[in-house]
Amino acid sequence: MCPVLSHLDGRFESADAEAEHRIAVLYQEFGGPLLRHVRKSTGNDLQWAEDVVQETLVRAWRNSARLQWEPGLLWAWLLTVARRIVIDGRRRKSVRPHEVEPPEVDMMAVPDGSERALSAIVVADALRSLSDEHREVIEQTYLRDRTISEAAAILGIPPGTVKSRLYYGIRALRELLRDKGVAG
Amino acid sequence: MHDGVAAYVLGVLDDSEHEAFERHLEVCEQCQAELVELAEVPDRLDELKQAPSASEDDPPMSMSR
Repeated sequence: MCPVLSHLDGRFESADAEAEHRIAVLYQEFGGPLLRHVRKSTGNDLQWAEDVVQETLVRAWRNSARLQWEPGLLWAWLLTVARRIVIDGRRRKSVRPHEVEPPEVDMMAVPDGSERALSAIVVADALRSLSDEHREVIEQTYLRDRTISEAAAILGIPPGTVKSRLYYGIRALRELLRDKGVAG
Repeated sequence: MHDGVAAYVLGVLDDSEHEAFERHLEVCEQCQAELVELAEVPDRLDELKQAPSASEDDPPMSMSR
């Protein structure tokens, strides 16, 4: 008889059961919506999207403080975590041919009659109406899958400046999109 | 630190800053509120990234004209 071990065994079992329950709840609550969301950024690569969703939910599950958040905040965090995982994955794996050269803003909005293309026109217009400084940092970071420091080196400005311009640029972009009715 | 929220939402912070911001986010209600506000802006930008080649069987019209 070993009380310490049996005590530990008991704890591990219940911790496993609790962990299993929590991750099942996470999948139930967020798995479907997150998968639909992630698929858009994996170019409909379902296998990749499923891996991203799994990794995202495991990170959430490991982070009990996050799980206390209200659902809107937790969802925003999950989207952000998933996006980062997709970006990291895209940087690692060989990119799809059409993603090698990100399009310039001027040729981005291709009218094909679909709702998304119309929305893309609105977003391209909003981007164009930002100041040059704001548009530039958005193009040189997110639209080209570059980090702050990579973009800073290319632009020849300090990383802190890129980060700050990105903040004001993204806020301005969001205001413009909200006025045009396409902000989320 | 607060102005890192946009770069964080976009997923473009360098690794060490990304981790530092994650810790900051745990305790900063202002950044939590901004995270919610900005969370879908990158999706709008994705429409630009994907618009010219929405799918393989749907070539952009500008290329076929």
